[in-house]
Amino acid sequence: MTDAKRNKEKSGEISRRAFLGTSAGAAAASLLGKSEGAAAQTAPPAVRATLPGQSAEAADRDIGNARPPVAVRAVQRPGSDLMVQVLRDLEIEYVAANPAASFEGLQESIINYGDTPNKMPKFISALHEESSVDMAHGYAKAEGRPMAVLLHGTLGLMHSSMAIYQAYQYQTPILLIAGRDDTNFLRSQSANDIAGIVRSITKWDAHPRTLAGALDAIQEGYRQAITPPCGPALVVLDTELQKEEAGDMQVPAYVPPQITGISTGEVRAVAKALVAARNPRIAVGKLRTARGVSDAVELAELVGASTSTRATLVPMSFPQRHPLCGPGSDTDYDYTLGLETGGIQAAIIGPHRRTLEGRDVTGIGYGFIREPPTPLWGPYAPPKPSHNDMHADAEASLPAIIAEVHKIMSSSMSNAVAVRSKQHAAANHEAAVAALKKALEDRRRGWHGSPISLARLYAELWILIKDEDWCLASPTQFSSGHNRVLWDHNKPYSHLGMHGAGGIGYCIGASTGAALAAKHRDRIVINIQCDGDLNMVPGALWTAAHYRLPMLVVMHNNRAWHQELMYAQYMAGVRGRGGDRAHIGTTLRDPFISYAKMGAAYGVESEGPISDPSKLFAALKRGVDTVKQGRPYLIDVLTQPR
Amino acid sequence: MKTLHLILVLIFMQQARAQDLGGNAEEGERLYYDFACYSCHGYNATMRVPLVGDASGIMNSEQLFLTYLRLRADQNPVNPKNSMPNYAVSTLSDEQAVDIYAYLRSLNDDPPELADNPVMQEMLDAAKARGKGNEK
Repeated sequence: MTDAKRNKEKSGEISRRAFLGTSAGAAAASLLGKSEGAAAQTAPPAVRATLPGQSAEAADRDIGNARPPVAVRAVQRPGSDLMVQVLRDLEIEYVAANPAASFEGLQESIINYGDTPNKMPKFISALHEESSVDMAHGYAKAEGRPMAVLLHGTLGLMHSSMAIYQAYQYQTPILLIAGRDDTNFLRSQSANDIAGIVRSITKWDAHPRTLAGALDAIQEGYRQAITPPCGPALVVLDTELQKEEAGDMQVPAYVPPQITGISTGEVRAVAKALVAARNPRIAVGKLRTARGVSDAVELAELVGASTSTRATLVPMSFPQRHPLCGPGSDTDYDYTLGLETGGIQAAIIGPHRRTLEGRDVTGIGYGFIREPPTPLWGPYAPPKPSHNDMHADAEASLPAIIAEVHKIMSSSMSNAVAVRSKQHAAANHEAAVAALKKALEDRRRGWHGSPISLARLYAELWILIKDEDWCLASPTQFSSGHNRVLWDHNKPYSHLGMHGAGGIGYCIGASTGAALAAKHRDRIVINIQCDGDLNMVPGALWTAAHYRLPMLVVMHNNRAWHQELMYAQYMAGVRGRGGDRAHIGTTLRDPFISYAKMGAAYGVESEGPISDPSKLFAALKRGVDTVKQGRPYLIDVLTQPR
Repeated sequence: MKTLHLILVLIFMQQARAQDLGGNAEEGERLYYDFACYSCHGYNATMRVPLVGDASGIMNSEQLFLTYLRLRADQNPVNPKNSMPNYAVSTLSDEQAVDIYAYLRSLNDDPPELADNPVMQEMLDAAKARGKGNEK
């Protein structure tokens, strides 16, 4: 490359010839007409034309940092401005969408309305509606509250339906808004009852017919989404409502939902039992928000209870390395309280999605939304409700329990708690170190092997992030879940858990959403990315690059859908034929896919494939360093299958 | 049936390597990949269900290895699973199985001891340090 050319590319100028050399350029050339296109191909122009590089102002506008000019408008106060004000009042940080005609009014308001346009909410460009919803899924898991998604009529909703289904299964709150244009656009992209497409897999929906009703519906959709059982809620907004003149209509004040906990009598009974117990224990499942986690910690510390956690599997659980977390110094527990999980003596368990009777109007009978009649693994045994279960939200119950414990605990009891807590801390520390030592011994095997051992990948990555504020956004069961024993999950968002229904394609979108949450919170997101998953919706990489999201993508590139490869192999074995043909339809060979090139194509700094384990640590360090500077990074690692 | 399996296994273990037929490790390497053994055992037979070195009892002898492959037929239900498949003679001949055995026997895994692995040692040290102040 000549210096002149290098300087030109650096300055952002692109020569016409270089531009026409791209496929986009070829398309542009075709628009010039045959004669001009032919001339461009056969004879270079005498004077080399140049396209100007993007100015700083244009770049600012692209990412929403510049205000638009004020102009005289036909509609002075469009209805969609009020809709955006409602979203702003709800503190919706982001709205992800693939642009569409049916919500053009609302989209225009998001990017132009108010003194701080395109902030709270900020419009996030997604390349596929499945990614949009997955982003909202990952964001909500990390933050414990919804972001919004705009979807286009029938088509966008259909594109997003698998992602909505998974959020519903996971009880993740998302505010979905579908635009509906029944008059001015393609009839095939509209319907009378658009929400009906996903009614069985959303918690609530509405199709308001007036602007005032639309504003109320957005607020109610938000309330529904965050009220247990949490889940995606959908509001359908007609284009006419988005564009109509609002006049002097006022935005209604938002009233948060009243989420009820256990009764006063139950509060007293639980507090009394915890205080009276010689050796109380608290089992913590998945709570709703970080506030719930801190309340659980406060209660455990207050009564000196050893605790169990699900923080290695789900978000919003008890900190894994808290001194009280572990078996404790005495495993003969005389009172165990469960918080969103079973407890021997008592359990506070919030409502299940099965309580949403009547949503499955089509009778589809999605698995686990109803009780499945044909289980995959042995006879299905639904969780047995205990007579000690209290059916109320655990998180909403905690403040009252804490207050009651404070009220009844004497100073002598407090001294006993202090002694017990110290004993638990010592025992838990000892158990944790022993467990880690055993786990490391088990994971020495294949350390120098190539392709690279996943245990080594997790271990070396941990060294680099353990002192950072990190969020592991990807499911990890396909990469053997080494984080569960090798990493410390101490934050509400340390690990965001599984897909919801095991649907592939979730991981890259959800990690991007978690990175949206992390961006302004001085946090980095780790995504151990399965290759099969990335190939479903790789466009989320562009979103990460465009918004400079702190997401490290480490490819678990085993060049196959290995679960299915094992299934096919097993079936061939059962039938006694073709054991050497299970790779057909289950492997990603011939050609191998270059994920580093894929990442680069979407604008993400990328490297690999790395198959030499001695080169992994340096690559991971480059990745972590880049992400800490606020840019996504992808490392293609050739890994062992599991 | 399981008891009979166990007896057979013990008999074959006694016979051990005296009856090893001596397979072709190179051919075994090809078969190891073609028959997707790596999908569960890892490319180097070191992962998930390891076979390298002394990691697995079924590697004690060729005969034991063969017996184990064939005995899976009665243990595999039809429902999909990712457990060890059956390998009947109709799928994998004795000669092929012995080749795979020879390949697996040719593999070696020599991971560093915990104390000699700086990454693992740093993890362990950090975990120990976390408990400072919690001593009994």
